[in-house]
Amino acid sequence: MITIHNLTRQFSNGKGIFDVSFDVKKGEVFGFLGPNGSGKSTTIRHLMGYMKPQKGRATVFDYDSWTEQAKAREHVGYLPGEIAFLDGMNGTEFLDMIAGMQGKKVKEKRSELIHLLQFDPKTPIRKMSKGMKQKVGIVATFMHDPDIYILDEPTSGLDPLMQRVFIELVLKEKEKGKTFLMSSHSFSEIERTCDRAAIIKDGRIVTVKDIHELQSMQRKIFDITLHNLEDVEALKSSSLSIEKVDGNMVRIEVQGNYDEFFKELANYHVKNVSATNQSLEQIFMDYYNAEEVPR
Amino acid sequence: MSPSLYKQMMKSNFKSIMSFGMASAVYVILMTSLFPMISDNIDKIQELTEIYPDSLMKAFGLESFGTYGEFISAEYYGLFFLFILGIFSVMTAIQLIAKLVDRGSMAYLLSTKVSRAQVAITQISVLITGLIIIIFLNFAGGYAAGELLIDDQYAIAMGDFFQINFVGFLLFFAVGGYSILFSSLFNDEKMAFAAAGGVTFLFYALDMAGKIVSDLEWLRNLSIFSLYEPAKIAKGDVNVVLVSLILFGLGLLMYIATVLVFRRRNLPL
Ligand SMILES: Nc1ncnc2c1ncn2[C@@H]1O[C@H](COP(=O)(O)OP(=O)(O)OP(=O)(O)O)[C@@H](O)[C@H]1O
Ligand SMILES: [Mg+2]
Repeated sequence: MITIHNLTRQFSNGKGIFDVSFDVKKGEVFGFLGPNGSGKSTTIRHLMGYMKPQKGRATVFDYDSWTEQAKAREHVGYLPGEIAFLDGMNGTEFLDMIAGMQGKKVKEKRSELIHLLQFDPKTPIRKMSKGMKQKVGIVATFMHDPDIYILDEPTSGLDPLMQRVFIELVLKEKEKGKTFLMSSHSFSEIERTCDRAAIIKDGRIVTVKDIHELQSMQRKIFDITLHNLEDVEALKSSSLSIEKVDGNMVRIEVQGNYDEFFKELANYHVKNVSATNQSLEQIFMDYYNAEEVPR
Repeated sequence: MSPSLYKQMMKSNFKSIMSFGMASAVYVILMTSLFPMISDNIDKIQELTEIYPDSLMKAFGLESFGTYGEFISAEYYGLFFLFILGIFSVMTAIQLIAKLVDRGSMAYLLSTKVSRAQVAITQISVLITGLIIIIFLNFAGGYAAGELLIDDQYAIAMGDFFQINFVGFLLFFAVGGYSILFSSLFNDEKMAFAAAGGVTFLFYALDMAGKIVSDLEWLRNLSIFSLYEPAKIAKGDVNVVLVSLILFGLGLLMYIATVLVFRRRNLPL
């Protein structure tokens, strides 16, 4: 549904994107991750036809995203990263205008979305909070039932509850066979929605990975609190990889070997277990921080 | 052209269009209501104005106030009208494209199947509609006030008054044309404003300088404003068809260029 091939654009300050290539298949949710200023929005702007590639090309729904941009956009729901509305309108007027320009029947889905996101569209946009504006943007993006969603940091400004609502919305659309490309800084969001993700850094794609592959690379950290100190000693001598011991608490790192982990634990009186799920993030962080782009 | 976009853009710009339209209409009516008093005291005024050099009088069209047509052309259409419409054309043209690009809201207008050319054509239509409304209010206000307040012997023929307004419209059709071309060329709202405003001011200044200093008369040939001579239209000394065609052609060229430029350029959205 989306292909990007050797897309290159260098700005006058030397920044930009260089030889970016990846593709997003039909029905796939594709995550696009990277530190600030790494080129996510720039790539997306090319897909929307706002910029002409200096080199390479991109297609959306088999249309060239520059020469046939209007046709390509017909199939796209786009949520800009930095939302700037027009002056002097309220949410409803804005949505009316966009719906008219989209030229599709939107009424039902629109009121459904407004109900789902819980906001009052009659508020003048300049009086809206950041999150409310984001919600108006989301409604505009989803209401015309596009085949492809291109979302630039869709949950920025949303509270945790709304972030969850949004993730459910994405999953529902995914079930209908819709295709997504979304940039994000939220790892849990990517983890819960995406099939694959690309990581971009300094304008170059560092890696494109299956989320499950990333997850299996992921180490989980368990903090186990045991009843007595003898058990702690026994656990320490097991084959599990122990990171830290603090009184009755043992921090264990698990990477795929869950069976072994549970069998070992069955031997002890366990008082409390807590798992931290930061390690997928850690994998990303390793990519983010890498000085040299690994090839 | 996108009807929904046009509708919303007209709505957003309606207040500004109406304020410019009303302000200018009120001004025409006010000037018209002053005419009977001035024409009664024309001798005294001529004595007073004798102290000014001829060239200055010519520049502001103060040579003769004998008829209402000459009076309103000199006092309004040669001066205040140019300011109001000039400011409106430049300001609105910049707001309709450059401002939206600069602030990023253009991203939304270009997020649907409406093409760039269609967006540009819609914005151009909004500008032209605004000009038509303002000129219409001018014409209607001036004409109604003239009918009510001016003695028949001094009155201007409706046809002549219409021509003054019509050519005035075409002048700003052209001014709006290059203004919106600048608006589509620049990423920066302020730069676009400076360019369009600067060129407009330069045109006005060249026309004025050419009128005041007779040695510099040739300067007027460089200015689009020299094509609009309301006092002469009132006297019937202008080939209105020719002037209209030139102004219309210039404007049309600018609008076509605007669409072409906007279709091809990179937008920092
Ligand atoms: N129009 C432009 N002119 C010059 N430089 C630009 C332009 N647009 C983007 N850049 C630069 O290109 C780089 C990539 O920017 P981009 O907005 O794509 O980053 P991003 O990955 O979306 O970052 P963020 O996570 O902060 O949204 C940045 O260094 C930015 O300063
Ligand atoms: Mg961005």
